[in-house]
Amino acid sequence: MQSTSVGAESQNSLYEQVVDSYGPALDRLARAYELDADARRDLLQDIHLQLWRSFAYFDQRCSLRTWVYRVAHNVATKHVMRQRRIRDRLVNIENFDFLPGSDQAELAASQAEALGRLSMLIQRLKPLDRQIIVSYLEGMDASSIGEITGLSPANISMKVHRIKNILKRWFGEGGPNAE
Amino acid sequence: MPNESPMNDPRNIWQNQPKEPFKMSVDEMRLKAHRFQMKARLTAATGITSALAVCIFFAWSFARTHEVLPRMGFGLISLCGIFMAFQTYKWVWPSNLPPDTPVSTSLEFYRSELERRRDFSRHIWRRTGLTYLFLGLAMVVVPALIEAFGAPRLLLNMVPFFLLLITWFVLFFRGKKRNQRKLQQEIDELRAFERDR
Repeated sequence: MQSTSVGAESQNSLYEQVVDSYGPALDRLARAYELDADARRDLLQDIHLQLWRSFAYFDQRCSLRTWVYRVAHNVATKHVMRQRRIRDRLVNIENFDFLPGSDQAELAASQAEALGRLSMLIQRLKPLDRQIIVSYLEGMDASSIGEITGLSPANISMKVHRIKNILKRWFGEGGPNAE
Repeated sequence: MPNESPMNDPRNIWQNQPKEPFKMSVDEMRLKAHRFQMKARLTAATGITSALAVCIFFAWSFARTHEVLPRMGFGLISLCGIFMAFQTYKWVWPSNLPPDTPVSTSLEFYRSELERRRDFSRHIWRRTGLTYLFLGLAMVVVPALIEAFGAPRLLLNMVPFFLLLITWFVLFFRGKKRNQRKLQQEIDELRAFERDR
């Protein structure tokens, strides 16, 4: 793919724009890939660094959002792939058979507990499925997720359906009702 | 009404999680990029220096030994040190960001990462120079072993070492095979996904 180099000023302004618009989303994305606070800070720094570097080659063939999420997911995927002990235990969403206990199925007592449960679920998934569930939780539709991951809308729909079912089991009926 | 509670909606929980403030100015980012590059170079330089230290140590042993076979063994291990230094430079030395890296989709990126790991695992002996390292070790150890046949007590002392070596070989090959099979399976699954695009 032919890339167009943009000027340093444009690179900097793009980066500042992204920090303002996607800063909190990038923070959440890092949380989906790393539970440890110190390691997460390093990962987040790495994501920001690679994003800033990547804007030198941003050619506007895709939207800024798609670009940001692709770069961020790629950096985070590399981070997971480096940790062999974690990597070897990850599962596909299709093979995710861990059912919550009866106490877990009840409504979470606090936001922190619910978030902890959600993080635990995400941390067990392989990188590609993790990208899909994070994009889904960020409120993206199937075509946006497809642009980021490279999967077909049919595949995305199938996986999102599976994710919804799992979330329903983990959080009760009121959860994943939005497409 | 548990169903209407925001704590029961995963999207709501996810999007409203507490934020950890993170802000870096462009100047800080530039400085960080420079430091990142320097750190990566330092890591690579440490690997290269260690490999060259192995090379020098065994070259010194080569110069001091007079028996032909062990001498060749030390020479081979010394050359392995150079090879390892070169491989470290080739694979670990940081390069500039390839222009098309961020353009690839996450699926392609993930698959290419898996393929890179599979290829490294498949050619681990060649890539790390282990074949020549073990050949060199054999050249050093075998003459000593033949000599030990005359003294069974000495031979008995060597048994634990060889048992450990055999165990390592068995575990290494079994683990490598299992790992490669799992990687290939995942790569095939991802290729099937890509065909549907």
